[in-house]
Amino acid sequence: MKNLLNKPLRIFTLYSFIVLLCSIPVYFIIIDFIWVREVGEHNRIKSEATKQNFRSIKFKDGEMEKSIALWNRIQPETKLREVDALRPDSTYNEYRKNTYIPSKGLDRYEGRVTYFELNGKFYSVTIETNLEESYETILAITAVTALFFIILLIGFIRLNKKISTQLWRSFYESLQKIKSFDLSSLKKPEFDKTDVIEFEEMNSSVSRLMDGSINVYRQQREFTENASHELQTPLAVIQSKLDLLLQSQSLSAQQSAIIDETHKALTRVSRINKNLLLLAKIENQQYADQESINISLQLEEQIAQLSDFLATKNLKLQEQIAPDITMKGNKVLVEIMLTNILMNAVRHTVKNGEINIRLEQDRLTISNSGEASLNSEKLFKRFSSADANSPGTGLGLAIVREICSRYQWNVSYNFENGVHVFVLSF
Amino acid sequence: MKVLIIEDERELAQSIADYLSGAHYLCEFAATYQEALEKVEVYEYDCILLDIMLPGGNGMQILERLKSLNKQDGVIIISAKNSLDDKIQGLHIGADDYLAKPFHLPELAARIYSVIRRRSFANTNVIQLNELQIDLLGKSVKVHQELIPLTKKELDLLLYFIANKNKVVSKSAIAEHLSGELADMLDNHDFIYAHIKNLKKKLTEAGCANYLKTIYGSGYKWEL
Repeated sequence: MKNLLNKPLRIFTLYSFIVLLCSIPVYFIIIDFIWVREVGEHNRIKSEATKQNFRSIKFKDGEMEKSIALWNRIQPETKLREVDALRPDSTYNEYRKNTYIPSKGLDRYEGRVTYFELNGKFYSVTIETNLEESYETILAITAVTALFFIILLIGFIRLNKKISTQLWRSFYESLQKIKSFDLSSLKKPEFDKTDVIEFEEMNSSVSRLMDGSINVYRQQREFTENASHELQTPLAVIQSKLDLLLQSQSLSAQQSAIIDETHKALTRVSRINKNLLLLAKIENQQYADQESINISLQLEEQIAQLSDFLATKNLKLQEQIAPDITMKGNKVLVEIMLTNILMNAVRHTVKNGEINIRLEQDRLTISNSGEASLNSEKLFKRFSSADANSPGTGLGLAIVREICSRYQWNVSYNFENGVHVFVLSF
Repeated sequence: MKVLIIEDERELAQSIADYLSGAHYLCEFAATYQEALEKVEVYEYDCILLDIMLPGGNGMQILERLKSLNKQDGVIIISAKNSLDDKIQGLHIGADDYLAKPFHLPELAARIYSVIRRRSFANTNVIQLNELQIDLLGKSVKVHQELIPLTKKELDLLLYFIANKNKVVSKSAIAEHLSGELADMLDNHDFIYAHIKNLKKKLTEAGCANYLKTIYGSGYKWEL
């Protein structure tokens, strides 16, 4: 994954590299062409001048040959020779070593051979001009191009940096806000105004999306709460009718048993409904007020209420409660949490079993004897442990976890040597 | 005793009235906010059962009106909302009790009994039922003028039965009364047997007639 701004930088760099690379032969061809043409032109003018000047001189017999010989000695590159016939002008381009100036390598020459007639004899004049060698031209162009490429590269990087800090700033700010958006808080971040159309559009689109999600989420939560509320009244009617039915004088034992079974099922429905309502309320951030709670005292009060249930199942309770451990939280929620986790232990301990409660500075450990390990992954999920044959609602531990997560406490389950261990670390 | 049932769910109101009618209660109904307000302003009741969510208005306002009129009627809020805020607010304004729906009718009867008893404290802080005498203030029970030591739960249970005299009370209603929400987390309500057995034993041993009858398969009944 690459940074957004580095992507065009790489592409731009590559593109300018290719363009500059291609420009090297093009420059060379053009420059060389101009060179050769201009030198050719120069050669033509010179040869033409030579021709005309020769013609204009009146040589005496023998003087001509002497002059030519002298010419050729002084200027060996411009050969003047007698030939047997007139030919059309020709040019050549060659590399060879010059014999006058010491130099490494070869020199490049552009030459022109032209013919003329004088006093019935035919002569050829060769004019040569030293020309810039091709490889030197290429070298120079490449060096200049490389220099420009480096200048471009530095420019790209600096501009990119500048653009990213200025132009894209609002984008990165929005990104940061979107990242930290938490749906369950039902709070939408405020995006700063920007003068870039695209960013403004993005911000408003994201804003709309968030509004939509928040609405759906709120509706879903409110739905649970409203549905549970609406169910309370019909449940109350059924409950009251059953209580009334029980008053009939003519009830047979069988009918009484049916009422009793109905009662049990109804109690379960009511409890599920109550728990769903409680979960919805916790999620909806009710029970917000916090106070300092003496967990040790709370726990002892709760344990005292368990005595009836412990006696019925003949359970042995061992408690080790460190005094005056305080915690910040909502009193009602903490009470519900303790009740649920304690009742969970009471319910699932086999008859004549043992429950161990230990409260320390940073943790509450509740262990009870059991037969087989429970599925620790599903244990705290809603309805995952519900069983048609047990009175549990499948919500008790889900509520415990919900309350714990609210205060960033951690609750875990373990099964060791026939003992279920629930650990709540504050 | 006059009881006003302010409840828009007629079936529920009717059930409450039916259950209470056996005892010496006279029930009246109000199904809307307006109707309730009119009755409350004009008549006096020993106890008012007040639903919070009413067609036409909020039950809390009726409670406020009642208090501003300086009326002495006992008020029990029966609400589907079961919200702590409502409970706190209601009790703060001056309700005597708060009961979340759904509830057991015997539980409601016990609450009404307790509210009325407290309202007319001066002349009925002692309940006399034949040989049985309960001193509510001193929380003591006498049979044939003989003090019998009852635990807090046994006394609670005794008052609960008396509030529901001649009614069959189911085991789950008793369990819920004794242990509140804890009761319905458990699969059996065996723990109530111990308390009932002890209560019965203590009363009969002191020479009290056996008023508490076990109704097979259904529950218990205080017959008088």
